[in-house]
Amino acid sequence: MKTKYLRQLVIAAALTVGGASVAAADCPVKVGVALPTSVDWGKPIAETALWVADMINEAGGVDGCPVETILRDTQVDAKVGVDAAKAMVDLDKVQLMMGAVSSGVTLPILTSVTVPAGVMQISCCSSSTRITGLAEEGSTKGLWFRTFATSNVQSAVLTKLAKDAGYGKVTVFYKNDDWGQDMASLLDNALKASGIEVAASIAITDNQPSYRAEVTEALGGNPDAVILALYPKEGIAVTREWISLGGTTKMVGANSLRSEEFRDAVGMQYLGDFIGADTSSPRTASASAFVEAYKAKFGGEPSGPGLPNSFDAAAISLLAYHAAGNGATGAEIAAKVPMVTDPAGEPVDANVEGFKKAMALLSEGKSVSFQGGTGAVTFDANGDVSAPAVSWVFTETGIDERQYIPLEEVNAFIQSLN
Amino acid sequence: MIQNLMDGILTGSIISLGAIGLTMVMHMLRFANFAYAELLAIGAYAALVFDRLFAALVPVMDQAFGGLSLTWSLTLATLAAMAITGLSAVLIDWAIFKRIRQKADALSMVFASFGVALIIRNVITLIFGLKAELYSNDIAFAMVLSRDPLLLIKPDQVFVLVAALVLMTIFHLVLSRTTFGFALRAVAENPALAQVAGVPLARIIIVVWMIGGAFSAAAGVFYALTNHLSPLIGHNFLLPVFAATIVGGIGSVYGALLGGFIVGIASGLALQVLPSGYSPAMPFLIILAVLLVRPQGLFGEAEQT
Repeated sequence: MKTKYLRQLVIAAALTVGGASVAAADCPVKVGVALPTSVDWGKPIAETALWVADMINEAGGVDGCPVETILRDTQVDAKVGVDAAKAMVDLDKVQLMMGAVSSGVTLPILTSVTVPAGVMQISCCSSSTRITGLAEEGSTKGLWFRTFATSNVQSAVLTKLAKDAGYGKVTVFYKNDDWGQDMASLLDNALKASGIEVAASIAITDNQPSYRAEVTEALGGNPDAVILALYPKEGIAVTREWISLGGTTKMVGANSLRSEEFRDAVGMQYLGDFIGADTSSPRTASASAFVEAYKAKFGGEPSGPGLPNSFDAAAISLLAYHAAGNGATGAEIAAKVPMVTDPAGEPVDANVEGFKKAMALLSEGKSVSFQGGTGAVTFDANGDVSAPAVSWVFTETGIDERQYIPLEEVNAFIQSLN
Repeated sequence: MIQNLMDGILTGSIISLGAIGLTMVMHMLRFANFAYAELLAIGAYAALVFDRLFAALVPVMDQAFGGLSLTWSLTLATLAAMAITGLSAVLIDWAIFKRIRQKADALSMVFASFGVALIIRNVITLIFGLKAELYSNDIAFAMVLSRDPLLLIKPDQVFVLVAALVLMTIFHLVLSRTTFGFALRAVAENPALAQVAGVPLARIIIVVWMIGGAFSAAAGVFYALTNHLSPLIGHNFLLPVFAATIVGGIGSVYGALLGGFIVGIASGLALQVLPSGYSPAMPFLIILAVLLVRPQGLFGEAEQT
């Protein structure tokens, strides 16, 4: 174990020292892609990233050099993912890594492969705020970006919905896992900051015979409403128990409960006051343009998770690579990302024409504002993005969107919490 | 506090029913049967099938009794499920455990029981899916016994407690008043000696599986009635049921009964002192404590060597 760690250090040191010379201006430009191609929902994410690389090549390539994407499967497994990333960094000498899906895979790649080697990493699909914590500590050295909204956005939207509904005192039920615990602590802060009293925050461990004791405890707090950061399986058990013991039907639920199973098992008659939260793609021209382009390319709706996010991650990072020039190191590429996502810059579209225009402007040293599948992306200091949100409700026939909350409103609300 | 105590008693009655059969099977067949709790799931799902069947055949039977979510069709379905589950238990023993018993040691039986548990759980998932099923989609509301301190109780839970106690009483009478009960206890005490005394061991084993299966089915239905059905019911109850058996002392029917209530109440009261995320650890703590202080369990007799 210790020797393995040492070896990693040696390789990392060798790469950081020799980084610039290793990545001398060779054609083609190699780019690493670590995504779970072996799972059914992971494959379209990878195909989307490769599609962007093709478009960039059509527009002239990175700094006049064609992009060669090296795609490796992570199998949504931390060990496989780290091995894949390591091979691409050590053997193919990539300076840019796209990936991975799931924070459990992304995090070890980031901490043990890309950051030690000075390679820039951008993920389409990881939401854990633990990575935000690392970025705040400076452990990611500014090499980390993601185009997927964090749990922080999700919890802020839940808070906003509770506040808009006029609830003054709430009880939080959260799933007792990494995601749920993250949500619970974020919710606790957000709710308190917006002046809502948290009567209790109760962990729900899944696969328990009974949640009666937990629900009884929540009942004692006598809240106006409950916030549910649960998955449908335990959500059904908790919600039914809660209602049968006379708990309020005023409920605010996380996106994980956006399921017909939950509606059917709890019963529509008790879900009249239920409001759900979810992040969403923006209602902008560029987002609909992405949907159209995707349909034209793949012959189907981009309905799977993370597709516009994957598109934007690939486009932004490759444009930044172009701006930094062939032979740039990971840190140099990362430093150019703000030039691609500059709100004051010239807006460019997410198509071959747009990429051509963007690359011409970037070569002149001008900044652009990339208008992608998730809108005009901007990263904060920790490489995180925000996202617009929607609220949804259960109806007799399905699940309907009720309200669209634009990005500006979400951001303003998150700001007001700090 | 009183609420937790009450809820603990109610959950405890379900655990007790499951533990009674397990303690007998474990003692008689001398192995830890990890597939046992799956009988709860078999029972609960069998009742679901019969309930739908009866309600469809005779719609009048789908009327709920006042305040309860129990219907005539579910009552009959429960009885049918008890028989079906008992037969399944016998069948599983005949198909798997009996053969292994003849060839291999207790450890092989333990491993086999893990396999059997996985098979049962996944077959149920294949047939019914992973999604939560319910006997009735209506939520039965709790009655408020007192406002301060808040004391709530569901009519269904009272029914479950009463029904469980009735089943236990009947079993107690059978054990203590009949020749058959005497034979059963004799086998539990010392299988070899009982056989010498003319007790037909093979037949007693079948009966024990029947009784265990029937009680588990009742526990499964009672649980699903107050909560919901999922293929994981058995898995979720495995630990509490084992804890109850160990607390009571393996082989002691009355110990298992009491053990079920102890585990139920302790899990309920645990929330008073522990954060909610830790309450699932309660059965483990109880097992540890009992094994440290009184390894043979409350009612078990120390091993004579």
